[in-house]
Amino acid sequence: MSTETAALRLTPRQVTRRRRAAAAQRTWRQFRVNRAGMFGLVLLSFFVLVAVFAPLLADADGLQVTKATGEVLEAPSAAYPLGTDDTGRSVLTLLIWGSRISLFVGLFATAISMVIGTLMGLASGFFEGWSGRILFRLTEWFLVIPFLPLAIVLASVLGRSLLNIAIVIGVTSWPGTAFLIRSQTLSIKERPYLERARVLGAGRWHQMSRHILPNVMPMVFANTTLTVAVAIIAETTLSFLGLGDPTRVSWGSMLDDAFSVGAMTTGAWWFIVPPGVCVVLVVLAFTLVGQALEEIFNPRLRGAR
Amino acid sequence: MLRVLMRMPGRPRGSRHSGHRTPTRLVAALALLAAALLVPLTVSQPASGADKKTTFTVALTSDLDSFNPFLGVEANSYEMWALMYDYLVNYSMKDMSPAPGLAESWDTSSDGKTWTFHVRDGVKWSDGQDLTAEDVAFTYNRVLTGEIEGTNWSSYLNNVSKVTAPDPQTVELTLSQPNAVLPLLPIPIVPEHVWKGVTEKDMKSFANEPKPGQPVVGSGPFRLTSGTTGGSTIEFEKNPDYWNGTPHVDQVVYRVYKSKDPAVQALIKGEVDFVEDINPLQVKALQGQKGIAAQNGISPLFEEIGFNTGAVDTKTKKPIGDGNPALRDPKFRHALGYAVDLDRIVKSAYQGAAEAGMTIVPSAYGGWHWQPTGEDKFTFDLDKAGQLLDEAGYEKGADGKRTMPDGKPIGTLRLFARSDQKPSVDTMNFFQEWLADVGIDAEVTPMDTNRLGEVILEGNYDAFQWDWFVEPDPDGILADFTCDQLGGLSDSWYCNKEYDALYKQQNGEMDHDKRVEIVKRMQQMLYEDSPYIVTAYTTTGEAVRSDRFACFQPQPDPGGVWLVQYGAHNYSALRPVDEAGDCDGVKSALKPVAASSSGGGADGGSNNAVLIVGGVTVLLLLAAGGFLALRRRATAGERE
Amino acid sequence: MTTTVVSTPTAQPLTRRPSYAKYVGAKVVGAIGSLFFVLVVNFFLFRVMPGDPARTLGRGRFKTTEQLEAFRHTYGLDQSLFQQFLTFLQNTFTGQLGISLRYRVPVSDLIRDRFWPTLLLVGTSTILAILFGVWIGVRAAWNRGGFFDKVSTGSTLTLYSMPEWWLGLLLIATLAVGVGPIPGIFPTGGLHSTDVDPGSLAGVLDTAWHLFLPVVTLTLAYLADYSLVMRSSLLDELGEDYLTTARAKGLRDLAVRRHHAVRNALLPTTTISAVNMGFVVSGAITVETVFSIPGLGLLSSEALAIPDYWVLQGTFLIASGGVIVANLLANLLYGLLDPRVRT
Repeated sequence: MSTETAALRLTPRQVTRRRRAAAAQRTWRQFRVNRAGMFGLVLLSFFVLVAVFAPLLADADGLQVTKATGEVLEAPSAAYPLGTDDTGRSVLTLLIWGSRISLFVGLFATAISMVIGTLMGLASGFFEGWSGRILFRLTEWFLVIPFLPLAIVLASVLGRSLLNIAIVIGVTSWPGTAFLIRSQTLSIKERPYLERARVLGAGRWHQMSRHILPNVMPMVFANTTLTVAVAIIAETTLSFLGLGDPTRVSWGSMLDDAFSVGAMTTGAWWFIVPPGVCVVLVVLAFTLVGQALEEIFNPRLRGAR
Repeated sequence: MLRVLMRMPGRPRGSRHSGHRTPTRLVAALALLAAALLVPLTVSQPASGADKKTTFTVALTSDLDSFNPFLGVEANSYEMWALMYDYLVNYSMKDMSPAPGLAESWDTSSDGKTWTFHVRDGVKWSDGQDLTAEDVAFTYNRVLTGEIEGTNWSSYLNNVSKVTAPDPQTVELTLSQPNAVLPLLPIPIVPEHVWKGVTEKDMKSFANEPKPGQPVVGSGPFRLTSGTTGGSTIEFEKNPDYWNGTPHVDQVVYRVYKSKDPAVQALIKGEVDFVEDINPLQVKALQGQKGIAAQNGISPLFEEIGFNTGAVDTKTKKPIGDGNPALRDPKFRHALGYAVDLDRIVKSAYQGAAEAGMTIVPSAYGGWHWQPTGEDKFTFDLDKAGQLLDEAGYEKGADGKRTMPDGKPIGTLRLFARSDQKPSVDTMNFFQEWLADVGIDAEVTPMDTNRLGEVILEGNYDAFQWDWFVEPDPDGILADFTCDQLGGLSDSWYCNKEYDALYKQQNGEMDHDKRVEIVKRMQQMLYEDSPYIVTAYTTTGEAVRSDRFACFQPQPDPGGVWLVQYGAHNYSALRPVDEAGDCDGVKSALKPVAASSSGGGADGGSNNAVLIVGGVTVLLLLAAGGFLALRRRATAGERE
Repeated sequence: MTTTVVSTPTAQPLTRRPSYAKYVGAKVVGAIGSLFFVLVVNFFLFRVMPGDPARTLGRGRFKTTEQLEAFRHTYGLDQSLFQQFLTFLQNTFTGQLGISLRYRVPVSDLIRDRFWPTLLLVGTSTILAILFGVWIGVRAAWNRGGFFDKVSTGSTLTLYSMPEWWLGLLLIATLAVGVGPIPGIFPTGGLHSTDVDPGSLAGVLDTAWHLFLPVVTLTLAYLADYSLVMRSSLLDELGEDYLTTARAKGLRDLAVRRHHAVRNALLPTTTISAVNMGFVVSGAITVETVFSIPGLGLLSSEALAIPDYWVLQGTFLIASGGVIVANLLANLLYGLLDPRVRT
């Protein structure tokens, strides 16, 4: 008897939590059925595992130019499964360790982009009048300036380190998220239950955090995975242009080296193809997962059930 | 209810109907494709040989900045001016020492304050007017009086107070003090009758570009007929009345490539005849190709590790920045010279295409270069380095790290590398290791060159890696170590009164042999004080279709580069293979190679490589499509 | 990397909608405001970059500090920042874009020379990408789950995941250099052959031949944006109620599609296309590098190394201006087509 009474007397917070847990389970179930999404997830897990276990898979010494043991641009062999680069290091080692950089920069840049973008999007969607408009203008400036030149400017101002590259990418890519969040915020803002909350005296902050944000989060999450994909390509491109961290090996910097060393002329396909393939696979993985999530959260895309 | 109805639109086999909207677009797209593919058939022309005109095409891998000799600073711009214009004094092919140019001969007064150049007769400008000493005087006076013109060239007319042309074949330079650097005069001579209309105001953006049908007026072996500043194709036609002999090709065309590998591929395919400034690995790959000659040519450039020997404020002479005090001691620096494995750097950072460095005057300038011998010469000897450090008072502490003579720890040396140059980063990484081996901590920071320049000026560094290009007269590079250049061009903050005195002396020493002695003594001084450790004399990779063109003479001879030299000698000397003969008797000139199929693909290795590359891409696409097909199949059941 | 800017309709309170004229006016004023904001921020942005142009350009050439000073004086670099800013504003409003520090010719000349190649390269690619992308998106959405949908979505996603310059390199390696029996039929770079007059018919074909690979590269890279968006917005539309009404009325399959679904689904694509047309004038730095096409993208990226302030201000102005104008036009178009957005 007392258990029943106890079960009935759940706090609102507990109710919300249970609801959220149930929703997450539902999402997972839907995701599992989505073949492309699962494929993406598996691929992603593979690369994440490679990145995490890099020290076990390949000797860190193999990254040092000063300890390079192979000949310059050796073709693949038993000793060097993917051959060597222009300073005699094993390409496979570089590839394994490079996954860390690409994933780290991609995720960190996305985190920055998401945080800024969500805040800006919420704020500019929610606040009307002058503050909203100024925020909008600022967002627009970032959108209007071509991405790559802006990234180059910021990279040269900040200096070339891993962190700075992530910051540069994050800072130049938040407008997309912001716009998405803003339009979502605008549409949610007008919904009836929010109207009711306002009538009941809910303040701005309460409205934003308790009502709008949770409803916006699923789309944000889907958008996040897509942003990671874009961030990884951005890092690769910046490294290719010579703006990456020169002390670290990333897939982009490998491609830059391969190209400037003359991969086409020297026929060193093992140097120029694998890093690109890795980039494509990782980006594809994130894109597939993101698309699957988008389909789940935006029911109209799913088609009839 | 609604859902049942909604299922109908998605009939998959409706693809038949989908044809209506698309044919127009599809046809348009196919037409575009067809046109693009047909173009090679209609437009394909052999690059040279079959035409009546012989054209020598050069692929440049870096831009040129201006056709106006008073404005441009890029190396490739100098090449353009050398084709269009002449110089009072040229450069020998052997070692870039002064050779007759427009001036057949010259003499100096005994006090060194008057230089008289005898301009040769019969030289004409391309518009028919005569070239006389007046044009020379006009050009030099513009440099002396114009702010803009002086920015580029005034250092070559150091101490010159007056330039006159007493008669059409004589130019006289009057100096306030002797200047031994003359006759290094790389200033192109421009026609007075064309340039007198260019005011100072105009000059700052005067592009000197040709107009259609109106080539730029010059006296050089070729005339600039077409090209724009910052453009990608530049065309020159030969000057049949050139005073030094008609060139053997009708046209020289430059194509600016933005990346090196495609430029090399263009050479292999036959789209260009010469490619300059390529990597050692590309040179190596090209050396195996038929019909192509490739080499790493000596060019007078050296790479160095520079130290912060004591940055000071130029006005107050008080120290600035946070350079490590150990580096202010020449003995400390000199000891480090034994901790650098030059052979390893050459092999690993430069892929073997360099010479181990010694002094700041490269070995290319044989006459000026000082060679350290025996005991004085740096070798890679970590024990000796340690020994010298001990003797200088930098002994190892209890933790194995060296300390200052007073016992305090040395700390971590900050090594800066240029982030855009991989050899620079590699060199500093090696150096860091070797420093660790002798018990000194160091960390490497790659940096943008712009920022590095600022850091050096502020004195917030311990060591950096950079390079210098050295001119035929060593005065320029020697000047960088004088006290006057602190806060200017000096990046080591080296300041030594003895050295400055020697510098002044050689600058005015008109006796050549005596001057060489002084210059060698100065090199020795720098070698001992070690504000720099010169790591390598690098080379420039280049390649040419030796089955089409021949008779390139290296400069310096032997071992030097075939193009982008001092002067335009090779442009006059080069010949199509069927006219090569014995190349005018020049033994070191590049001889023609038996013609192979012009153009043609790369060798088998490259083909395989590319086949694999293409295959991988296709596989990738198929795989992706396939996996998505799996997804479709799985979810299709839910939908329709 | 493109970002989507879609003005989505918001739920309208029951007030009078502003007229189209008022909407246009508001948008134009907004565009001018953006442009001015961009101008000012850009000026200061470049001055924050490290580097002294005089030293960068003069390394090894200028021997004395006098020469460095003279260079700075000639090109106005020794003036105070505020003074330079005033000069900049003055010049911009009179249409002068300054003189390039690197090339020492008017910036407008450089931009003019590079404009046409950029337009040809990026403009053609964008247009082709839109055309092909829309077509693929429509077909894929309409025949959802079919073979075409599977293959096209798979390949466009893969192409989307590729860095475009890597794709360009592969294309050069296979089609310009040659694979096995196929000779490399396309040139390795550049815009023209040297022995063809660019103005003649042969010259035009020659330029098209040179541009083929770079345009293919960019088109494939841009394709996925359009096809995926078109596909999803069409799928969105296919779920709308009014379509079922149309079906219920008995219209033919094809007519339904053409007149209702695709038209409406085109709206987001139109907005994105319009905005991306604006990005055309910013060039494509990486593809221009790999294929050695002298475009505006390369001009600005090379200017960043010095930094060549005036060139940067000029190219960024053109690039941002292009996007702002395109944005404006897109908004005007959208406002015309869908009155719901006229807030």
